[in-house]
Amino acid sequence: MRRSLALLLMGGIFSAGLAAQDLDPEKLLKPPTDTWATFNGDYTGRRYSPLAQIHRDNVGSLTLAWAFQTHSRSLESMAIEVNGIVYLSGGNEIWAVDGRTGRQVWHFARPGAPLGGGNKGVAMWKDRLYMTTPDAQLLCVDARSGKMIWQISVADPTLRAFGGVAPLVIRDHIIIGTSGDTADLPGFLESVDPMTGEIQWRWDAMPKQGDPAWNTWPHDTDVAARGGGMTWITGTYDPELNLLYWGTGNPHPVENGEARVGANLYTCTIVALNPDTGKLVWYFQSSPHDTHDWDMVMTPVLFDGTFHGKPRKMLAQAGKNGLFFVLDRTDGAALISEAFVPANWVEGYDPRGQPIPRKDKEPQPDGVLVTGGVGTNWQAPSYDPDTHLFYVNSREAMGVFFLTMPGKSAEGWAGRDFFLSSKSMLKAIDVETGEVRWTADTEGRGGQSGILSTAGHLIFTADMSGNLVALDASTGNVLWHMYPGGSFGTGPMTYELDGRQYVVFLADSVAYAFSLPTR
Amino acid sequence: MRHARTGDRKKLTIVVVLLLAPALWLRAQEGGPPPVAPAPAGAPATHGPGAEAAHAAAAERGRSLFKQNCAACHAEDATGGRGPDLIRSTLVRHDKNGDEIAPVITSGRVDKGMPAFSSFSTGQIADIVAFLQSQLTLFDLHTRFGPYPNDIPAERLATGSVEAGKAYFYGPGGCSNCHSPTGDLAGIAKKYNPADLEVRFLYPSGTPSTAIVTLPSGEKYEGTLLLNDGFNVAIQGKDGWYHSWPSNAVKIEVRDPLAVHAALLEKYTDADMHNLFTYLETLR
Repeated sequence: MRRSLALLLMGGIFSAGLAAQDLDPEKLLKPPTDTWATFNGDYTGRRYSPLAQIHRDNVGSLTLAWAFQTHSRSLESMAIEVNGIVYLSGGNEIWAVDGRTGRQVWHFARPGAPLGGGNKGVAMWKDRLYMTTPDAQLLCVDARSGKMIWQISVADPTLRAFGGVAPLVIRDHIIIGTSGDTADLPGFLESVDPMTGEIQWRWDAMPKQGDPAWNTWPHDTDVAARGGGMTWITGTYDPELNLLYWGTGNPHPVENGEARVGANLYTCTIVALNPDTGKLVWYFQSSPHDTHDWDMVMTPVLFDGTFHGKPRKMLAQAGKNGLFFVLDRTDGAALISEAFVPANWVEGYDPRGQPIPRKDKEPQPDGVLVTGGVGTNWQAPSYDPDTHLFYVNSREAMGVFFLTMPGKSAEGWAGRDFFLSSKSMLKAIDVETGEVRWTADTEGRGGQSGILSTAGHLIFTADMSGNLVALDASTGNVLWHMYPGGSFGTGPMTYELDGRQYVVFLADSVAYAFSLPTR
Repeated sequence: MRHARTGDRKKLTIVVVLLLAPALWLRAQEGGPPPVAPAPAGAPATHGPGAEAAHAAAAERGRSLFKQNCAACHAEDATGGRGPDLIRSTLVRHDKNGDEIAPVITSGRVDKGMPAFSSFSTGQIADIVAFLQSQLTLFDLHTRFGPYPNDIPAERLATGSVEAGKAYFYGPGGCSNCHSPTGDLAGIAKKYNPADLEVRFLYPSGTPSTAIVTLPSGEKYEGTLLLNDGFNVAIQGKDGWYHSWPSNAVKIEVRDPLAVHAALLEKYTDADMHNLFTYLETLR
């Protein structure tokens, strides 16, 4: 890998100590109220806000507070808000917007770079912002001025690696992942120094010789080195256990299983790492030997509670493979492994609760009918500690999978798949049983949205017909809706400023902030 | 644009449904740049159809040179064998107009067992580079929505039994309730390429639902359903005009012509699918 460090020192930006507008690291440890400082609002990934000014009895009067037009292509970033400033991002672009008025503070466009392309959000450390780009660079930008401080190369774009994942900040670690599965690259996570961009540690999704996981790949070809396991959705963190949780993507070649007989660790796996060293503490493979492109990068959501009478520190994931898992996050022991949509590719579960894939549902030269994926996608789910429900935008779908490149030397996609009919709905899952308590129809032809839950006994999301909706968190009844004229590739967030609660949605190129009417 | 052949509007609809709609709702780690064809190597930095044709011709010459001289170790498609995989090679990917590849060809990698090919002319090397670049493009297009491979041959898909497929058509599938091999399905296998035929008989996406909307006055409107999101309903009426109403103010009856296909999808075994395809493939 080529790595270059381009230091573009902007004069006089390094002030000593924390200025008033810097991000207070304590904010990341608390449920989000006046601050939504990360991709998920806080470290837990619950996307739950304790704000309750907007609640189920008054949400019907929700109104537009402001809208911000980026004049960009469709945004799929998660907005963050720190000290009254909202930061939005697109490929190689960031907008800083006044969270009260929607007026632009500054606009950053990376010098010399093409604009457009996806980006899932920025991360903040003190007075700096970090973003990964379509050409797999990590940029560090001054949050005050919107000027670039440095950029480093994360992976090789000529090998079709790309960026976009929102970094995760843990103390003085900027943790980043990577994307790309056309040229059979191995995935990894890296931690870099927030000041200099120097690498602190790297965790490789491909096991090394000596690791028992090495034996989950054949070694008569170089397939284990090309592997897969991309890390393209932001993970979560438990400060007490000091464990970083991250989901990894599918193996390569994507739809050919005979070239890589075995479980193919650490692809489609939830890994728990020490964020100071990058050392693996435990893993749970949520989709062993995937052959359907069911990246299992979906947010590992962290919450505490009693499980069958016993207090537990839990982690839940609803996967692209159609399965819902609840784990004990201290050691990765499975408490629940259950399909939340029909999933005909599952033979059963191994003693650790990991699914066993059916061999006859691997892509075949003459096609095979498969259900289960895309059960959900990366647009984040939410866990509400008041209702104890896990909310996920789901799809019950049937696809036909063709193996087009059989044999052990297959590369790249190696197959074709076509999705046939599908039914979209938001599902509310009981985290003690894995049962779906209720569903809300979200049918339509648009993009999928993420979910936000709040102490106002509400969940905010968007349906696939393009409507923003607020639902009763207990029943799924629609209490408010609005059509903003665009499709969604991300989820809503909320914050409170000057005693006023805002809910922000991004639709196409526009950010909309809603609040209750002012008197 | 393989589907966009002349004058076949139905086919265009299929492209939209099969390629665009899933691209929307299956959007995964996509968000980075789409696969981009590498700039033609070897050829001068000009663009336009002439340059493309010249590059294609160079790649074809390079293909035969590669086959004769390189394929024994690197395989005919350059995916490697005894020698390294050149599709996944960092060196090949970083090559610009032969600057990385040419020295390896002319000097070899003697320590790793690759002999020097010093007799190649500059033009021949440029042709081999052009071939390798075209192979990179081909493999990078081989994605979920990519156009490669262009067609899956019918014989690969027709692994079932014509008789069993026909029996299913007239029996448990209930297909003959709506379709006829001498009527609407006559020549169907000539109309669609094999993979399209398979996907389409399973679920002919894009066929719109119709709706009958009854107003409180009792007045009825019938037409193609455009929106039914629980808040509003919209149709294009038989009169050609667009109409919409709040959902809670009217009575809505939806007729989904695909409901039968959706119900059948849940019943098909893989063998049913193969048999039915094998039968339909005979309708030429």
